Amino acid sequence: MYQLRSLVRPSLQLFRRGVQASTRLYATEAPAASAGPGKMVVNFVLPHEVLVKKQAVNQVNLSAVSGDLGILADHVPTVEQLKPGIVEIIGDESGSGTQKWFVSGGFAIMNPDSSLNINAIEAFKLDQISTESVAQELAKAEQNLASAKSEQEKEIAAIEIEVYEALKSALA
Amino acid sequence: MAFGWRNAGLNYLEYSSVAARALRRVVTKEVAPKVARRDAMALKFSKWSEGKAGELKPAPVAGVKADQGTSA
Repeated sequence: MYQLRSLVRPSLQLFRRGVQASTRLYATEAPAASAGPGKMVVNFVLPHEVLVKKQAVNQVNLSAVSGDLGILADHVPTVEQLKPGIVEIIGDESGSGTQKWFVSGGFAIMNPDSSLNINAIEAFKLDQISTESVAQELAKAEQNLASAKSEQEKEIAAIEIEVYEALKSALA
Repeated sequence: MAFGWRNAGLNYLEYSSVAARALRRVVTKEVAPKVARRDAMALKFSKWSEGKAGELKPAPVAGVKADQGTSA
C-alpha cells in the first residue's frame, strides 16, 4: 500500500503543477481593463449601422435566453443569445449616460479582456416605437396564431407574439 | 415555448428575421421610411440544366407569403 502511494504521489504532484501552469482560471483571465478600473468597453452593432463603438461604460443589462443579466467589468467570458428585449447600457454622466434599446434578437459576447460585443438584427430606442401599433400587431399575431394552418405558421405567429409582448412590457 | 420554432423546421436565421420584421412593423412614422427599405429582401433562383436556365422562382422567405413578397 505504501509503495503504491509513493508511486502515485509524485506523479500526482507533477500533474497538479502542470495543470496550474497551463490553465488560466476565471479570476486571472481578465487583465486590467483598458478602459479604466470598473469600466468595460462596449461595441453594439447592427448589420447596417454601428450604434456604440468602443465606449467605456459601467454596466450593461441584457435580456438573454438563459435569463436577464447585468454585466459589469471583468465578467466571466461568455456568449449569450439575446431574446427580443431591452439592452441597457449604463455609462457615466460625463459620457453618454444611460442608453436603452429594444433589440429583436442577437448575441452578446463578453471577451476575456473585459470588452463586450453586442450584435442584433434590429434595435430601436423606445421612443421610436409606436405603442398603438404594438397593440394592433399583437392582436393581429394572436389572430394568426389561432387561425394558423401549419406548424410553421403557428410558430411564426408565436415569435411575433413574443416580440410584441416583450415590447408591451418594455413600454409599460 | 422557447425554441419551439426549431421543432417547426425554422432555423435561427429565419427565427431572427421573423422577429426583426415584426419589430420593424411597429416603429413610429418618423423612422418608418428608412426602416422599410431594410424589410425588402428577395432572392430568386432557377435551376440550370444542359446549359439552359430553368424557370426563375422566388426563394421562399419564412413568414412572408409568396404574393406579398417583393416582386421587383
